[in-house]
Amino acid sequence: MVSPGSGKQKTGAGQARGSGSSSGGSGGKGGRGRRGFYILLGGLAVAGIATLSYMSVAAKSTVSLVDATSAPIPNQGHVMGSDAAPVEVVEYGDFECPGCGSFATLAEPDIRTRLVNTGLIRFRYVDFPLSIHPNTFAAHLASWCAGEQGKFWEMHDAIFMNQDRWNTQATRRPERVLEGLARQVGVNAEQYESCMGSGKYVPQIRSNVDEGSKRGVSGTPTFFIGSKRIAEPLTYDEFKKYVDEALAEVMARRAGATSPKTPATKTPVTKAPR
Amino acid sequence: MTRRMLTALVALFGLFVALYLALYKAGVIGTLACGAGSCETVQQSRWATFLGLPVAAWGVGYYALVFALAVAGVQDRWAESRGLSLGLLVLTGWGVLFSAWLTYLELFVINAICRWCVVSAVIALVLFVLAIWDFKAGGRVEVIGDTTPPNT
Repeated sequence: MVSPGSGKQKTGAGQARGSGSSSGGSGGKGGRGRRGFYILLGGLAVAGIATLSYMSVAAKSTVSLVDATSAPIPNQGHVMGSDAAPVEVVEYGDFECPGCGSFATLAEPDIRTRLVNTGLIRFRYVDFPLSIHPNTFAAHLASWCAGEQGKFWEMHDAIFMNQDRWNTQATRRPERVLEGLARQVGVNAEQYESCMGSGKYVPQIRSNVDEGSKRGVSGTPTFFIGSKRIAEPLTYDEFKKYVDEALAEVMARRAGATSPKTPATKTPVTKAPR
Repeated sequence: MTRRMLTALVALFGLFVALYLALYKAGVIGTLACGAGSCETVQQSRWATFLGLPVAAWGVGYYALVFALAVAGVQDRWAESRGLSLGLLVLTGWGVLFSAWLTYLELFVINAICRWCVVSAVIALVLFVLAIWDFKAGGRVEVIGDTTPPNT
């Protein structure tokens, strides 16, 4: 197609052009065109960097106020902690979500020893399995079936701890791994299997998702702490900050109330078997 | 404006798109939280990682390489280089194949579409067309959209 001769000819033309531009002749057009090109490149680079940095700042706004007039969150999911605790924290979680996993494994141990066991808060975990995670529903079901035997939180912890062993990246059949975890936490295998086979908690889990959607939950983990809804995996310190704010809200309400004897907890709590 | 200048500009745009997707995947833009959108489905699928690295990170490397080649091709020293044209052609050809595979996965396997992934695929295609054009022209420097014939 292209003979070496013609190629050489072109190279020669290019050199002539190059020298022309340096002498400021008609070839100077190429130099000016290049300057315009660099200006365009620079402009695009600045615009790109600005857009990306704006996005990274804008993404921080994951906290919103909960509509104060909305009804209190009904008793769903599983609860840990004292009925008398002044603040109830609700987490809408998805067992396959990495953010929920990091929260459960990194922040939750401290939350339990420092906030739940000291009676400051009560912690409620509500199912919010997302359709983007093919294996997550089996895990939610497994947690309910273990909960039936009083091992919900043990199973919750085992599921999150071993997320990488049963998630979509790891397997197409999460049930087998989950069953192994259920055995580890000490549930009766026969009862667990019949529970999983019957799928009797499917409607419960679905209704929890519906309830979450109604409250503006669209991703996981989403926390309800006091008057705030926070849609990101919190560290212990961040979590504690929101709890402190919620405690202050409760104190202010108690001080303002005419009868200070009224207990702060309005909703009766069905305690999950522990 | 020459073909290679245009290639460089388009590649730089692609670089930012890939950078956005990579930062998103890493949780810098947006959080590590899980959402219900299509982009999450794609980005959290098992195909979002290739040879141990996020696909978006490969995209950043790819666009950076195309950009570097195109900018080099604008310099006098390589302005007429046939090898550079061939390099661009092979690189962008590979990019189109890879994008086509990813788009196929999105459409038929993951069943979800990530908008910026589609934008990236289109950019890859545009770069390939520009590279074919550059290769066919055989390294002749032509000013696009300029009626005055160059170099006379």
